[in-house]
Amino acid sequence: MSLFWIFAFLTFFGLIAYGFQIWAVRSYLSTPCSCGEGLALPRLFPPVSVLKPLKGLDDNLYDNLLSFCSQDYPEYEIIFSLQSHNDPAYRIAKRIKDKHPGRNISIIVEDCSIGLNPKVNNLLPAYKASKYEYILISDSNVIVDKNYLREITKPIDNSGPVGEVGLVSNIIKGVGGRSLGAIFENLHLNSFIVGSVCFLHSFLKLPCVIGKSMLMSKKDLEAIGGLRSVKDILAEDYVIGERMHKAGKKVVLSNYMISNVNEYWGFKRFLNRHTRWGKLRWKIGGSKYVFELIGNPVFMSAMPIVFWQCSKLTVTFAVLTSIIKVFGDFYLGRKTGAELDNPFLYLLSPVKDLVIGLIWTVPIVSNTVVWRGNRYSIGKDSILSPCPETGIWSLRYRIIDAIKERFA
Amino acid sequence: MLLCDFHIHTTYSDGSVELRRTIDLFGQAGFDVIAITDHVVSGDNSIGKFANRFNLSVREDNFEEYMTNIRQEAARAWNKYGMLVIPGVEISKNHLSSDKSAHMLLIDIKSFVPASWNYERIFLEAKEQDALIVACHPHYMSDMSKDTLFLWNNREKYAKYIDAWEVANRDDVFNVISLKKYPYLANSDFHKARHLYSWKTLLNCEKDTAAVKQCIKHNKGVAITLFRN
Repeated sequence: MSLFWIFAFLTFFGLIAYGFQIWAVRSYLSTPCSCGEGLALPRLFPPVSVLKPLKGLDDNLYDNLLSFCSQDYPEYEIIFSLQSHNDPAYRIAKRIKDKHPGRNISIIVEDCSIGLNPKVNNLLPAYKASKYEYILISDSNVIVDKNYLREITKPIDNSGPVGEVGLVSNIIKGVGGRSLGAIFENLHLNSFIVGSVCFLHSFLKLPCVIGKSMLMSKKDLEAIGGLRSVKDILAEDYVIGERMHKAGKKVVLSNYMISNVNEYWGFKRFLNRHTRWGKLRWKIGGSKYVFELIGNPVFMSAMPIVFWQCSKLTVTFAVLTSIIKVFGDFYLGRKTGAELDNPFLYLLSPVKDLVIGLIWTVPIVSNTVVWRGNRYSIGKDSILSPCPETGIWSLRYRIIDAIKERFA
Repeated sequence: MLLCDFHIHTTYSDGSVELRRTIDLFGQAGFDVIAITDHVVSGDNSIGKFANRFNLSVREDNFEEYMTNIRQEAARAWNKYGMLVIPGVEISKNHLSSDKSAHMLLIDIKSFVPASWNYERIFLEAKEQDALIVACHPHYMSDMSKDTLFLWNNREKYAKYIDAWEVANRDDVFNVISLKKYPYLANSDFHKARHLYSWKTLLNCEKDTAAVKQCIKHNKGVAITLFRN
């Protein structure tokens, strides 16, 4: 019985934490951007270089890229950066460029392999070619409306002559789920991710940077070591944010939400991404990673069934917790404007939480990630190193790969 | 080279993605030419009756609606993506025995062709409508339950009517087609979103229906590619 009460307490704790997350999201979205709104200075629009690293076909890629061509912003350039002409995204980038001859769009194809982080490798040539002082690193799987650049540059514009704002990032919401993996992904983005980011930012005042959208000046970026300094880091966005913070620069999380389109993800892709993200949070957060599990009330409430007994009490407890979580996720979805097409799909939320709970354990036993086809091992602060391809240490990877291939 | 897929199903038959979303899926992926080819199943046996009963087939009574919707979507696809969409059907003669079963694409079809007609009549009607005739998955596939071998087994008789043969279908490659030096195409036989990543055709011609059909018939400037992400 004592086991039940331990898990009941942890579940209760998790639900309270979830309540705080909802509160944080609610208050964050209802507060206008605090950065200099009241200043009487005329609005400035610094020219911006939008860097779009492309790799493969993301869901909705054409519309995602197209949305950057219709920005209501005076001066900006778009740089699509790819590693190969054979990348299927090249055709899309070319078509977008051809469709908008009047826009300042360039396509850079360069097989850069300076570091181990493929995104940074892809970004470096684009960064070199960018002509404006402000760069906006934007992932290819986000879609924005025409006010995006105006909104994200607001904090920079108003940061004054000393330039106290070092980096501006955005909250993301997952939209468009049509397959099970995509629905799980969007449920997770719109509950755990958005909730945690707002919670950390609002209550703990920790710099939160979402790599899908990062605006900064070259001067500030170079002052913290530049892009090259994060070429072997898996969580390059987090590290850039942290270094900016340590350098005394303000890291602003704009309350202008951008949409991350996930339509046809397979379940395997969902598992891969969150295993990878879990591993990097484990390497960065260390013991704090434990709180993530406690912050998963559905998983905690299911533990007495597994470790104690399957009785009316334990099942009722788990079901009640799941119902609370379903309603919480539904509310967050409505609040962030990221509702699922069918409200009944929110019933999948507890299942997703159980899967996430199981994924949580993986980083404890494995420190390798397969990212864009390459296997790396992750060290402290998510520093990547290549996995050995020969010798006794490579044996386990070869066995894992052989098993995966067998069941493919 | 034009990136093409001439074998695509939607929810008009047994596909899982609606027509509009299918168009968007291919448009967003940068395709130049696609053909929507939902099944037309012969209702003269129990398999066909089942397909018609559960709306897994285009029928004579909804054919006009099917064509109208494809034409509307084709106009949208052209304006938005610069993608050419050609209407078509897959005539599906299904039998329990794979030796008796045959599937063929009629691309750029104008009016309904019943699958219950005999082969000659179907081919002649397709020629009359200036539609392209493609023999689908004509040889053994990795999924044996769906083999359709009739056209291949009777190739001496029917090859003269067929404009192209699928040398590759989704993940399968039929080397017998290349050995016989028949005109070839490669298609996805798209039913689910993940089938986007499969064998495709590359054509070296202008992006209009007549030029595409001509290029396939002459089978010059045709290549196949395994489209992967």
